[in-house]
Amino acid sequence: MTVEEQIREIIARIVHVDKGVITREATFKDIKADSLDIVQALVAVEETFGIEIPDEDAQKFQNFGDFVSYVESRVAQKERV
Amino acid sequence: MSLKGKLALVTGGGRGIGRAIALKLASEGADVVVNFFRRREAAEQTAKDIRALGVKAEVIRANVGDQAKIDEMFDMISNKFGYLDILINNAASGVGRPVMDIDVKAWEWTMDINARACLLCTQRAVKLMEGRGGKIVSISSLGSFLVWPTYAIVGVSKGALETLTRYLAIELAPRGICVNAVAASFVETEALKFYFDEMLNQANLPLTPAGRLVTPEDVANVVAFLCSEEAFMIRGQTIIVDGGFSIYSPLFSLKKTD
Repeated sequence: MTVEEQIREIIARIVHVDKGVITREATFKDIKADSLDIVQALVAVEETFGIEIPDEDAQKFQNFGDFVSYVESRVAQKERV
Repeated sequence: MSLKGKLALVTGGGRGIGRAIALKLASEGADVVVNFFRRREAAEQTAKDIRALGVKAEVIRANVGDQAKIDEMFDMISNKFGYLDILINNAASGVGRPVMDIDVKAWEWTMDINARACLLCTQRAVKLMEGRGGKIVSISSLGSFLVWPTYAIVGVSKGALETLTRYLAIELAPRGICVNAVAASFVETEALKFYFDEMLNQANLPLTPAGRLVTPEDVANVVAFLCSEEAFMIRGQTIIVDGGFSIYSPLFSLKKTD
């Protein structure tokens, strides 16, 4: 499974939405995620990929695509180290 | 009051009330472990400010709502220092909702971080205080007995924290450990802005006889006192820091007399 698929699965599970609605353009607001859903999704993604996503970075995500790109680059960074 | 040579852990110590407590304990001479969960930059800044006071500071990331993460945090403290003198249970979270909209997820999240973490952190901390005694102070809120809009889950969690404080105070007294809590009214922090808008904040000012809102430093001063030997005989209490807000009746005129 790709990073994108894994993150989509995590969010779908936490927010209780169908994976199909989580497009790359979708925002947390679009899928009706509340602040608790968002922090739980961030924590689950952190634990899945062994990375840390500070709120300072998370606040910059405009949509799901940004979130995926951020995690992909952090995972790649981690693998280089 | 001197806390020189003591080691303190402040959960949620990176910002707001936790940061003020961490800095106050450091200014009294304590080395401080700053726990944070979501804001690393803020925690690193607090640690830097603590070191500038001439004491040691460590930053540890842990979600105190997760037992495994609490264990990891205490394992690190145990390995690095092997002791602990002061535990400040300050980390808090919550979901602002009317009571009828509270679901299991929101309940568990809030209770795990605000109440269960006090129990689990205390259980681990007590082992590191073995043979040396210690001080445990947990941060509560007036919302444990006053009813505020959408504050229900947090209020309930703080009620649990205060009751736990009383039980711990008695059970841990023979081990030389003092346990207390501090409850503040509206404190000017980022969290306040999250839960209540500025308007509500201003509405409370005329109801505070002390003439201003509570600052994080006001809370930190009382916490530091409870961590001192001068407070040795205070056990299991929740000290209210609110400028008179909770006991004031608007029937009184607060106009100064000549």
